[in-house]
Amino acid sequence: MSRIGRDQPGRRMLLSGNEAIARGALEAGVQVCSGYPGNPASEVVEALIEASREFDLYVEWSTNEMVALEVAGAAAAAGLRSLTAMKNLGVDVCSDFLMTVNLSGTRGGFVLVTGDDPSAHSTTTELDTRSYARLADVPLLEPSTPQEAKEMTRWAFELSEELGLLCMVRSVTRLSHSRGVVELGPISRERRKPELSFPPPWTSGSSSFACMFHEALHQKMRTAAERFEASPFNRYEGPEGAEFLIVASGPPWIYAVEAVELLGLGDSVGILKLGTTWPLPEGLLRRHLGHAREVLFVEEIDPFLEQNVKALAAELSSEGVGPIRFYGKRSGHLPAVGELNPDLVLRALSSLRGVGYSPREEGYGRRAEELVGEHVPSRSMAFCPGCPHRASFWVLKRALRWDGREAVVTGDIGCYSMGLLPTGFSVEQTLHCMGAGIGTACGFGKLGRFGFDRPVVAVSGDSTFYHACLPALVNARWNSSDLLYVVLDNSTTGMTGHQPHPGSGFTASGEPSPPVRIEDVCRGVGVEVRVCDPFQVDEATRTVFELLQGKGPRVLVLRHPCPLTEAEKRKKRPRVYVDQEKCLGRECGCMAFCSRVLGCPANTWDFSKDKARIDEVLCTGCGLCATLCPAGAIVVEEEG
Amino acid sequence: MGGPDLLQAQVLSHGFCAGCGACTSICPYLNLVQGRAVLLEPCGREEGRCYSFCPRTEVDLPLLEERVFGNTRADPALGVHSSVVKARARRGEVRERAQYGGTVTSLVLHALREGRVDSFVLTGSRDGLLPQPLLARAGEEVLSCAGSRYLLSPSVGEVVRLLREGEGERVGFVGTPCQVLALRKIQAYEREWEVSRVGPVIGLFCTWALSHRAEGFFREKLEGRRVRRLDVPPPPANLFVIETEGGRLELPLDRVREFIPPSCRVCFDMTAELADLSVGMVEGEEEWNTVILRSEEGRRLFREAVEEGEVEEAPLERERLEHLREASLNKKRRAREEGERLGIRYLKGVEG
Repeated sequence: MSRIGRDQPGRRMLLSGNEAIARGALEAGVQVCSGYPGNPASEVVEALIEASREFDLYVEWSTNEMVALEVAGAAAAAGLRSLTAMKNLGVDVCSDFLMTVNLSGTRGGFVLVTGDDPSAHSTTTELDTRSYARLADVPLLEPSTPQEAKEMTRWAFELSEELGLLCMVRSVTRLSHSRGVVELGPISRERRKPELSFPPPWTSGSSSFACMFHEALHQKMRTAAERFEASPFNRYEGPEGAEFLIVASGPPWIYAVEAVELLGLGDSVGILKLGTTWPLPEGLLRRHLGHAREVLFVEEIDPFLEQNVKALAAELSSEGVGPIRFYGKRSGHLPAVGELNPDLVLRALSSLRGVGYSPREEGYGRRAEELVGEHVPSRSMAFCPGCPHRASFWVLKRALRWDGREAVVTGDIGCYSMGLLPTGFSVEQTLHCMGAGIGTACGFGKLGRFGFDRPVVAVSGDSTFYHACLPALVNARWNSSDLLYVVLDNSTTGMTGHQPHPGSGFTASGEPSPPVRIEDVCRGVGVEVRVCDPFQVDEATRTVFELLQGKGPRVLVLRHPCPLTEAEKRKKRPRVYVDQEKCLGRECGCMAFCSRVLGCPANTWDFSKDKARIDEVLCTGCGLCATLCPAGAIVVEEEG
Repeated sequence: MGGPDLLQAQVLSHGFCAGCGACTSICPYLNLVQGRAVLLEPCGREEGRCYSFCPRTEVDLPLLEERVFGNTRADPALGVHSSVVKARARRGEVRERAQYGGTVTSLVLHALREGRVDSFVLTGSRDGLLPQPLLARAGEEVLSCAGSRYLLSPSVGEVVRLLREGEGERVGFVGTPCQVLALRKIQAYEREWEVSRVGPVIGLFCTWALSHRAEGFFREKLEGRRVRRLDVPPPPANLFVIETEGGRLELPLDRVREFIPPSCRVCFDMTAELADLSVGMVEGEEEWNTVILRSEEGRRLFREAVEEGEVEEAPLERERLEHLREASLNKKRRAREEGERLGIRYLKGVEG
């Protein structure tokens, strides 16, 4: 039985925020779910994939977030409850559809779950997707706890269906990935038959029709605002008529509660927790702004509530609200970037309220650092042991040095983004968003006529190839851009946890599906394509070197499966060890090439003998170091 | 002495790499690419074999001569030597495949047959164009390497590999002046490998070689025909001749000379002055070779080969000797001028 599928209403269990969202969808009777993997939202879809084995629902990984939203949108238009989950930047990708399906509307409940990533733990930006709700004029819910994540998701379907409008649920990494007690509700077994019964046609219209739909959208949002006024997800806690008010949303609301308690400010500071953050529950806000002289906003990433509530306060000033002093990101009391935490909120509140707060004596942090000193070495992020990307970047580095010209290497989004770092020999020089590697390479590759004589190399992974690189590849072919596009194909979506993609040979639910082969696609586009195994270092280097000498678009697929997926399939692996008789140690002249340059975590140094050593626990048996050791001292013993 | 940083600064960045393979065959940071060494990244050492072995880093000629010959040169033009003679192979099968007189092939065959060494590092070619170092142990392998290669070859790398990996095997060498120089530097500066395993070193006269950029040019002209022999006939022909299975191809020499690498333009050595004996052509007499006998080991090998009837010897005409000296001095003068123009000075303790 799946974790989220227990049909035991009233039972309390530990669920992560993402599992709670998926459970909420099950309780709402979701029938179609789609998404594209991306931290921190992937597990919403994964939990529903697991549940799909017991419940009659269709779940797919789509090629990208745009297609995912369209797949769910279609099901919703046909009257089914459907959900799409994606990370923050995924909303950028699907925003084109979002900005029209808001106008065309839905019949079945249609929920978009977004996972924002304050501090950008595993994202290239801290994009705050709440602004998309405002931009698209769709209702926005912000859960603070796993329980709320479940309840809000379930209710979002109802609201969406009532309004005929997509509804957004915004999570953040801290909520998605932490666990909390969730009391389960009943799972809906209702299964609807898809029906398309427009007029009017399912469209955002154009010209006067677009305006007509726009007006209808505003009406839906007025209705949403009415529902929000009475929503249990918004509540005020604190003394009646408190002059100091905290307005908080998401997990930071918990930090605010904790701060007020720790500072003993419960009798003077009130907290207005908002769970429905767009449109604003204006009546509720008016009531509480009415008694406030000072307001501190506690929310994550952008000053979203801060700006919108201030705008509302300006409107209310003629009705006797204010003057109010506002604090938050604009005033600098809370940082405008990065995740919040209880300490940051405590410090802000203590300085604003003039209450002392020193959880630790002065200089504690500095002394702790001194004590730790050199005992904890600093570490850069690194590819896993046996990662084919390490071989690929060594191949690229060699080939580029062989070539001797100073190449431009554009990177893309995936594990191989670390090609910017020493673990990828700092081969990559640019990194933006999915597909931008080959897209910008198209541009660099057309600068030759103005005297730009550097070779251009674009790098992307396999999943990214299907996700966002195809239009740029066609563009490169169409406009004859001079570029070498290297696809690092490890046959999985590695960075987000090994979700399948169109090249994997099976779907999200494990159904076989013939792989869409990258080389076939390239040939179809009319681009020269070669395929190599990056662990055949010399052959792959020669191939890259040869391809670098060419003109127009060229593609090289460096294909080798991710060892983490392979490890699940094979019980035994080759044993790799250093023949310490042959290893010349410090006398070699290689300067510990295996552990120092190649940088595989399994290549270590035996300080007792001053010779190379392999950590057999970490080693996956890929043998890359064995092919590169100049003394031939590393032995690969095939499994017996 | 120096390491990879100096190697890059003084040699590689100027294109002075001779492509001999001394540094690239054992180092993971240096790769041989199209006949030249490429540094992937500095290994971090301040001193290394890459620098000390390189024929284009500082050369202490008196020290090397003292080590090879036990004395230093009296003749600034031809280096240490006892005599200069003419010679040619006696055996028809050798003469048939030889570039000129077949003396080198004969000497190598003789040395192997007599067990003087176990093997020879020679330079062959699969397609007649791209050179291929070969560790030859048998007669047919030796014969397959007869004839001149014009593109730079990493043959010293093969010796290095053998010194590092092989056990006890004695190895002879045939190579160009820069390759011989690299090998002598290895013998002089290497402290761990058993460099005394290197047997007779036969040097080849060389005016210049070609960078691997020439390959594409030749292939275009060849149009798929297989190369049998490359040659530069004596002046005033001013031609580069390629004999192919589909006929003779004559290319303007000046066009081919465009592919001479910077490395050859600063080379002071035409006659492989550090070899045990050096062999080249005799201008106007294609059936013969010029042989410069230098060391005791070289003399002994040559004498034996003559006595065993492998090699036929004749005196070298005085005017030819003078001509050889003049050609050698000309190369030194051009190298000095080029060196001064570039501000490069890698010879130590020797005036042109």
